[in-house]
Amino acid sequence: MHLHARHTLALAVLGVSALTLTACAPAETSGGSTSPVSGGTLTYATGDAEPTCLDPHVGGNYPQALVATQYLESLVSLDDTGTAIPWLAESWTESDDGLSWEFTLRDDVEFTDGTPLTSAAIAANVAHVQDPATGSSTGYLALGKVTGVDEVSDSVVRLNLSSPDSALLESLSQPWVAIQSPVALERDQETNCESPVGTGPFVVTAWDRQNSITLDRNENYNSAPADAGEGDGPYLDQIVWRFVPDSATRYAALASGEVDVIDNAQPDTLVAAEKDNALDELDAPRPGASNRIELNSGKAPFDDVRVREAFARSAAVNDGIASLFFGTADRSYSALSSVEALGLSDEDLFTFDADAANDLLDEAGWTERNADGIRTKDGSTLTLTFPVSTNQSIPAEQSLFEQIQATTKEVGFDVVLEPMDLSSWYTALAADDYDLVSAPYTKVGPDVLRILYHSDGITPAPSGYFANHSKVNIPELDDLLTQASQVTDVAERTELYADAQQIILDGYYIVPLFDQQNHYLYRSDVKGLRAIPTVYTPTFAEAWLDR
Amino acid sequence: MTIVAASPTTTRPRASATQWVLARLGGLVVVLWAAATLTFFALRLIPGDPAEALLGGPGSQASEEALETARREFGLDQPLLVQYIAQLGRYVTLDFGTSYSLKQPVSTVIAEQLGGTLVLAALALALAWVLALGVAVWSAQSGRVAAALGSALEVIAVALPHFWLASSLVLLFSTTLGWLPPLSGRSPAGLILPVVTLAIPLAGFLGQVMRESLLDALSSPFVLSARTRGETSAGVIWRHALRHAALPAIGLSGWAFGNLVSGAVVVETIFARPGLGRTLLSAVQARDVPLVTGIVLVVALAYSVVTTLTDVLDRAADPRLRTVVEA
Amino acid sequence: MRRISVVEAVSGAVLLLLLVAAFAPQILAPQNPLAIDPLASFQPPSWAHPLGTDESGRDLYTRIVHGAAPSLLIGVLATVLGVGLGVILGVAGGLGPRWLDTTSTRLVEVLFAFPGLLLALLFIAIAGPGPVTSTVAVGLATAPGYARLVRSQALSVRRSGYVEAAVVLGRGWWSRLGRHVLPNVGTTLFVLATLGVGQSIVWASSLSYLGLGVSPPAAEWGAMLNSGRTYISSFWWMTFFPGLAIVLSAASTTLLGRSLQSRGRAR
Repeated sequence: MHLHARHTLALAVLGVSALTLTACAPAETSGGSTSPVSGGTLTYATGDAEPTCLDPHVGGNYPQALVATQYLESLVSLDDTGTAIPWLAESWTESDDGLSWEFTLRDDVEFTDGTPLTSAAIAANVAHVQDPATGSSTGYLALGKVTGVDEVSDSVVRLNLSSPDSALLESLSQPWVAIQSPVALERDQETNCESPVGTGPFVVTAWDRQNSITLDRNENYNSAPADAGEGDGPYLDQIVWRFVPDSATRYAALASGEVDVIDNAQPDTLVAAEKDNALDELDAPRPGASNRIELNSGKAPFDDVRVREAFARSAAVNDGIASLFFGTADRSYSALSSVEALGLSDEDLFTFDADAANDLLDEAGWTERNADGIRTKDGSTLTLTFPVSTNQSIPAEQSLFEQIQATTKEVGFDVVLEPMDLSSWYTALAADDYDLVSAPYTKVGPDVLRILYHSDGITPAPSGYFANHSKVNIPELDDLLTQASQVTDVAERTELYADAQQIILDGYYIVPLFDQQNHYLYRSDVKGLRAIPTVYTPTFAEAWLDR
Repeated sequence: MTIVAASPTTTRPRASATQWVLARLGGLVVVLWAAATLTFFALRLIPGDPAEALLGGPGSQASEEALETARREFGLDQPLLVQYIAQLGRYVTLDFGTSYSLKQPVSTVIAEQLGGTLVLAALALALAWVLALGVAVWSAQSGRVAAALGSALEVIAVALPHFWLASSLVLLFSTTLGWLPPLSGRSPAGLILPVVTLAIPLAGFLGQVMRESLLDALSSPFVLSARTRGETSAGVIWRHALRHAALPAIGLSGWAFGNLVSGAVVVETIFARPGLGRTLLSAVQARDVPLVTGIVLVVALAYSVVTTLTDVLDRAADPRLRTVVEA
Repeated sequence: MRRISVVEAVSGAVLLLLLVAAFAPQILAPQNPLAIDPLASFQPPSWAHPLGTDESGRDLYTRIVHGAAPSLLIGVLATVLGVGLGVILGVAGGLGPRWLDTTSTRLVEVLFAFPGLLLALLFIAIAGPGPVTSTVAVGLATAPGYARLVRSQALSVRRSGYVEAAVVLGRGWWSRLGRHVLPNVGTTLFVLATLGVGQSIVWASSLSYLGLGVSPPAAEWGAMLNSGRTYISSFWWMTFFPGLAIVLSAASTTLLGRSLQSRGRAR
């Protein structure tokens, strides 16, 4: 018998102990009297770039995560509180020294090509992610401490680590280290990129480039994560995954009924959708870092903390956020997303105070002003270069940057905004050609702080890419982050990360803006939609169409 | 301005058909070669490491070994001139290489995407012609107010940017009226908005050109004599003037084609249509050298075909041109 | 001389207004076009803001007036560049020796074969976005069109009796160019160029759409059109008025050019 949505909600509430910080929209609370109906095709229109490879081991970005969620699954998942729950692995134990983890796999799962899920599969996947030829970036970093895999038995696999990793479960829950069929992985990369084989509720059957991906139901699906309730899904026959880069067209298509679900919904459409009875919203802020502006402390003028503070205190963003986002985004005062349980907020540090900013700049020696009102010191102007990636920053964000440009000018900063495409943007960052930058980073768990603010993050990869854009280099902070990544005791971990965040915020290395916005809009007759509380991608495993 | 009749010193006897075809083919090869060369060097001038583009872009965190392997595999570590010669050699054997960003053979990508853009361009050109001709003829017949109105419409049409027009049409016909779907899937209805978006500015331009020569033709001696012979206004226009009005517009069709391909970039992106325009844009942004070059060559080829066709049409329609050899 | 028609008067007046807006915007709009006011954003047209406000609360009327200079400048300069290049290529082809003609024709054909947007994209990818590169990119993209026209005019003039007579009379190359070719080419070119100014402004705005135009917070019409497009379904004035400015500029230059041409004909 199908469980009603109400029952699902009850189960979820029982399982959750702490107040949820997520905005994961509940399954139907309107009474949901109809039970799931099998059949139908759902059309999803994404505004994100089309992946170049459907295998998220290769590269590893959010568009890949979005689509891979439908056909690949991970060893573990997370519930609303951020606690690890069983998925493909039923249970796990950490060794006393923290240098190895044993996972017991479900014994009833098969990949859609018939290969059984065994420890050999896990070994093959880890090897694939860690193989330089695969070209994995996100997954590679996630498994950074894994030195080897032992196949203890068919259903027990042991991961050996170079040092204790308190973020291992969080890392393993991400789609970028999802488990694929070992037989499929042996094919050449081009073939595997076109149709990866997993255990998920749907299977990739066609990829019409620049147009759509077709996903058909996996009839033998039986491996839902532990918090998915007891539905009988998947109910949909097929999902058509379309690429629609223009946000206005995407919304128009949803409003007209041509598509059923869209992502990257713009703020004004969120407001319009609220008034439209035929549309609902799923608000699912991405985990990891908040959406913030990073200040390059590696060179003048931001190598002086007073200048950084002056900038933070003169950038009036609250009114801008309220007006540009129509109340759909709240100001953040934290380095972490609001879905991170261990996030620390410090509002007082960022209160708008032009007088204080002026004083700080005078103190820092920027006492002269030129004809345009820009401060100067020893002949150079207080100019800040701000490259903006038009692919990543939505229009509302870009407008917000313009407002920051205007308000900081009052105290004498000259912010130069440089919109550019993604490749040029990466090039500018690699060349240290920036003072300010806004770079999103999605990763599950507070370990993202280590990637972003540990001094190791300043060293670029051979491609020039590096994550520590603020060039934070504080030994004390490094120690805290390294320690925190090895400690599994929740209380200790919480304290370590709190101290680390305080250092980051006090140093004014960032100006937090808001959560990484991740809004989905869908037609009200789409039921059973939910975002997996890992990277908050939508899953259609239990979705059905009430038509 | 009258043209003095041909004198032996300024014209040559008409070339044979074979010679003409050969000359055209030769010209085509030169154009393709020049286009490939220009693209090759232009793309090399873009800042950034091409090896990175191969591995998914500069944000890919690729390892040094991976970059080195990529460079060796694709010959990127050779001197520029060697790479250039090698590239030309490949093109001569019709090997267009593999796209860096899409990981598919370039010929496959182009084959898949070409159809979409061609359909769009052809329909838009046809619609633009119909609109332009329609407005020009109607306004020429219906008096001064109509003429002014037609003129105003054309001037406005030309000044509408594609992206603005697309958004406005979607707003009007999809969101407000609900008559047409905003996305153009496989259905013919989905083609309407993109085609109209491309056609309107072009129609404005063609219309202005046509109106000019239509008015010119209508005030020319042969039309007056036709009138004195008792032909009706419509008869006059249709039979004599139209031919002359269409001439410059035919000649412009080559340019119109290029204009349509440019517009296709924006239109395909906004309406989420697969096509070469959209592919080209992302290829340039991804520094995908083989794919950009492949598309450039295809567009250059198509453009040459269109100009040849229009030249043939021109000669067929205008006897004056048949005594002149120059293209 | 004919009396000035209504059309001419209106387009002349519009053009005059545009010129004033371009050279002395403070006369028409004394406020600061960059002054933000987030709490007053997305306001529809009203007494305080006759054309409404944009997403950062900036007065749209002020921005449009102050935007005349950068928008028109790009349009005019790009056209000048395009026409200049076009004249050089066209004259070289039409009047020069055969080898020069073939070379320049081929060059023009190659440039033509590149869709204008692609030329612009490549150029901007190499040189980085900004008003200067936008101008050059649009100029390059429009040059082939002018070149073709100049060449065909030059060719027909060359075959005409005037030039032959000049050759017979021993007049130099430059005199032939100055007295016969340029004046004949000039009027058509001028008309097309006036059309071209409008076109160039539109082109530049398309570049803004692709994120390759001027840097914020510059009040350029194309950029305003682009940033307003996101909100077209909710706040129509943000695209309507900049769009109107573009249309009016293009229309007035075109109409004026046409009337000049018809006056020339009537003479």
